[in-house]
Amino acid sequence: MSRLLVIEDGDEYAEFARVFLADLEVTAAHSAADALAALRAHGADALLIDLRFDRAPASALVGDLDATAARLFAGDRERALRYLQDEQGTLILADLRAAGFALPALFVHDFPPRRLANLRRLYGDVNAVSSLDAATIRRALGGGR
Amino acid sequence: MGRVGRLAALAVAVVALAACARDRAWQSAEALWQRRDPGAWAAWAKLDPATPDGARAHDALTRADAEYRRGIALLGDGDARARQVLEAAAKRAPLDPVLYLPLARAYHRRGLDERAAAMYRKFLALAPPSAQTNGARRELAALDDDVGLPFEPPPLLSSAPSASSQLPSPLAPALWAIPPAAALLALAGWMLARRRARRTSLALLASAHPELQPAIAFLVGCLRHEFFKHRIVAVGDAIRAIAAGELAESERRFLLMRLFGGEPLAVAWAGHVGAFMRVLGPRFDLVRFDPAFADANRDLALIGSARAALSRGDGEAAQRVLAAQQRLAALDAALGRLALGLQHTVVDGALLSELAADVQRELGMPAVELVVDAPASAIAVESYRFDLALVVRNVLRNAVVAAAKGPAPARVAVDVDVALEPTGDEVVRLRVRDTNPDAVPSPAELTEARGLALIRAALQRCDGSLSVEPAGDGFAKCVVVRLFRALHGATEAA
Repeated sequence: MSRLLVIEDGDEYAEFARVFLADLEVTAAHSAADALAALRAHGADALLIDLRFDRAPASALVGDLDATAARLFAGDRERALRYLQDEQGTLILADLRAAGFALPALFVHDFPPRRLANLRRLYGDVNAVSSLDAATIRRALGGGR
Repeated sequence: MGRVGRLAALAVAVVALAACARDRAWQSAEALWQRRDPGAWAAWAKLDPATPDGARAHDALTRADAEYRRGIALLGDGDARARQVLEAAAKRAPLDPVLYLPLARAYHRRGLDERAAAMYRKFLALAPPSAQTNGARRELAALDDDVGLPFEPPPLLSSAPSASSQLPSPLAPALWAIPPAAALLALAGWMLARRRARRTSLALLASAHPELQPAIAFLVGCLRHEFFKHRIVAVGDAIRAIAAGELAESERRFLLMRLFGGEPLAVAWAGHVGAFMRVLGPRFDLVRFDPAFADANRDLALIGSARAALSRGDGEAAQRVLAAQQRLAALDAALGRLALGLQHTVVDGALLSELAADVQRELGMPAVELVVDAPASAIAVESYRFDLALVVRNVLRNAVVAAAKGPAPARVAVDVDVALEPTGDEVVRLRVRDTNPDAVPSPAELTEARGLALIRAALQRCDGSLSVEPAGDGFAKCVVVRLFRALHGATEAA
C-alpha cells in the first residue's frame, strides 16, 4: 500500500498523513466529486475518510436532502442537512462503491461494533480507528479487517 | 448469700442464658435481614414456631409473602401502588428467594434494569441449576451493559425499620443479663445499618426516577466534558512520567496548568456536584449518599494537596496522585456508561403492552381493540425511556380516541420494524395504526398544532420524528414514531 486518498472537509487529516505517514503518497479530496475525480485520475490503494463534513457547503454534500428529510425527519430539512453533514463520510463511500471503487476504506471514528459491521455489510472492506495515531492507522490499513 | 439465694441466682442465670440463646437466634436472623443477606428468609423460616418469637416470625413471613406477591404483580402492571405494597411487605419480613425471579422480571418490565439485574443475580446465586435458571441467565445477559455496575440493595426495600419493634420478645425482662457492651454493639450495628440503608448510587437514583434521566444525563455530560476529560483524565501520562522520573518541562507545565491552573479543582468539582442537588433535589447530594462520589471527593483533596510535591517531581507523591487519578478516571468511565445507558430504552413486548395498558386504563374504551405485535427480540433505541413513553402514549391515546369515533369494529394495532440506512445506522419505526379514516393528521398537527410542546421536545432530544403513512391491512391510517436504533453494545450486523 503506497497511495492514500484522504477525503475530508478540512486539511487536518492530510496534514497529519503527510507528517506521520510520510512514506505514503498522500492525495486529498474535499467532496465525493473530488474523490471520484482523484481516483479516476491517479487511483489509490486506500481511503482515509473523515465522517463529519460540517464545514462543507450544503451544495458539496452527497445524499438526497429532501428524501432524507421526508424519510427520517418528518420533512424537517434543517435536521436532515445536519444528519447528512454528520454522516457524510459514509455517504461519500457509498458513492465511490457505486462507481465501482472497492479499495479499503478507513474512518477515524469510534463506531459501535454493530455500526461498523453494518458498514462492512454495505460497503465491503471498511475499517475504523478511534484516534489519529499513526501506528494504529498503519495497522488498520495494512491488516484490512 | 445463703444456699437458697445461690440456687435462685443460678435459676435466674439459666433462664437468662436460655433467653439470650433464643434472642441470639432471633437477633442473628434479624441481622441477616438488616444487611439484606439472601439467607435472611431461611434464617427466619428456621426459627422454631413453637416459641413466641418464632410464631410471630412465621406469621410475619406468611403475611409478607402475600404482600410481596401482590406488590410484584402491581409492579409488573405498572401500577403506582406497587411501591407502597412492597414497602409494607419489606417492613414486615424478608423476601422469599423464590420471588427473586418474578421480582426481577417485574423490574425489567418497568425498565428498572439495574434492580432487575441485581435480583436476577440473587436468584441465580441461590437457585440450583434448572431450565428456570438457564432462562434467568439468558434474561440477565440480555439486559443493558450498564447493569454491570456494582449491586446495592434497591432503596425501595431498604427503609424497613428493625423487625424487633414488631416482634417484641416476651423475655424482655431477661435483657438485664445482656452486658452493656452488647447493647453498645447492637447500637453501633443499628447505626451502621441505618447509614448503609441511606447509601445509594447515581445509577440507582436514575433508575428510580426516570422522569429525571434527561437532566441526569445532561449533568453527567457536563461533569465529564468540563471537568474529568481535560483536568483529570488528560493528565495521566504526565503523572506517570513524574512517577518514573522522566518528566519533560513541557509535560510539567501541562500537568500543573491542568490540575492547578484556573479554578481550583475542589471548587470546580463542588460546582458540578452541587448542580445535581440544585437541579434534582437534596436526595442527589451525591458526595453524601454515593460512595463513589465520596471517594472522588477524597481523591480530589489528595490531588489538591500535592501541588508542591508534584512541582518538585516527588515520585512517591506522584504514585499516590496517580492512584487517585486512576480511580477518578474509572468513575468518569462509569459515568459515561451510565449516561449512555440512560439514553437507551429497550422496546419489547413488555414495554409496548405496558404503555397500551396504561392508555386503555386511562381512557376506559373497551370497545376499541388494542393489539400489540411485539418485535421478535428486544430492540434498544436512542431515547430516554420517559421520553419514549410520553410520545408513544400520546400517539396511542390519539389512535384509540380516533378509532372509537370511527366505524366498528374499532381497532388499534402497534408494531415495530427496523430498516438499515446507507450510513450504517438502523432506523426503528414504531407504527400505530387505527381504523378511523377521518382526521388524518399531518406531521405538524401531530407535534405542533395540538400544542404538544412536550412531545416535540422529547422527539428532538432523541433525534426522532413522527410521520403519517398509508396503513393497509384493514386499517385507515398509520402514525410512525421513528427513532434511531442504539447500536452501542451490539456486535452483530442487522
